[in-house]
Amino acid sequence: MRRALLSLPLMTLLCGCATSVPGAALRLPESTLDVRSIQTRTLTAPSEIDILTATVALMQDMEFSIERIEKPLGVITASKITDADSKGQKTGLIFLDLLCAASGSSGCNASSTASDNQHTTLTMVVLPSLARRGEYTVRITLQRVIFDKMGRIKVLERLDDAETYQQIFDNLRKSLFIQVGEK
Amino acid sequence: MSRSTQLLRLLSLLLLAGCAATPANVAGAGTQLETRQIQTREYNTLDKSMTMRSVVATLQDLGFTIDQADAELGTVTATRLHQYTMRMTVTVVEKDAGRISVRASARIGENSVTDAATYQDFFVVLDKAMFLTLHKVD
Repeated sequence: MRRALLSLPLMTLLCGCATSVPGAALRLPESTLDVRSIQTRTLTAPSEIDILTATVALMQDMEFSIERIEKPLGVITASKITDADSKGQKTGLIFLDLLCAASGSSGCNASSTASDNQHTTLTMVVLPSLARRGEYTVRITLQRVIFDKMGRIKVLERLDDAETYQQIFDNLRKSLFIQVGEK
Repeated sequence: MSRSTQLLRLLSLLLLAGCAATPANVAGAGTQLETRQIQTREYNTLDKSMTMRSVVATLQDLGFTIDQADAELGTVTATRLHQYTMRMTVTVVEKDAGRISVRASARIGENSVTDAATYQDFFVVLDKAMFLTLHKVD
């Protein structure tokens, strides 16, 4: 018993301070190909400037702020901060607090768990196709952080929803059509 | 005070001291040369711009969003938000005789990744991306 008691701090010392890397942190997941196909499209455009201009215009349409553009690498980084909750969700949580208070309970704080805002970051990589001249591969990656009312991180995730990406690509095609038509 | 109690106290003190945060970990842990060896690979197949293209594709495949990329300096910074926050900086440097050096450094939250196997995993993915770029596969 005494020996076990003695070894406890030593074991904690050995394990407690080590930085553990989550297993397979930089290994390709099996879903890589599916995710890549959701995030990538090949588009035809008259020039690289046309497709980059159309992409920037689309970012503005989507109310994103452009943070950086690195033209030689075709990288466009943008972000936006939006309200994370629907009005219905907020009303529901306030109603829950009211019910809780009416029942005489203390510590009614459901509305503090409401999401406050979400920070969405988007990267678009627009590059000339290696395989075909006049075509451009566009790959989008989206991720978001949702904070609650107390400023705590509630959700930390990459967005893999195919419909969202499809919608962005549809809008990019429209933006490209307008860009080329305006010339 | 018995001997075992003294030993227990000593170990507990050691435990407290061992985890104490230093005021500012600026220089980083580990030897410079060892860290560089783990984090660096050299290639002689593609030029700098095509290597950077492969690096960006690799980071996207691994679920990262590109925060910043500079073709001239050969630097790419990316973040992945998935259960935890992982941040990577990859630098691509042109050496003599067409050799390209790629160095990757990663941090998870407040800690830097020093585990050689994790970097090995990254370079396995990069090797595949470089192969695809070399054979002009988008």
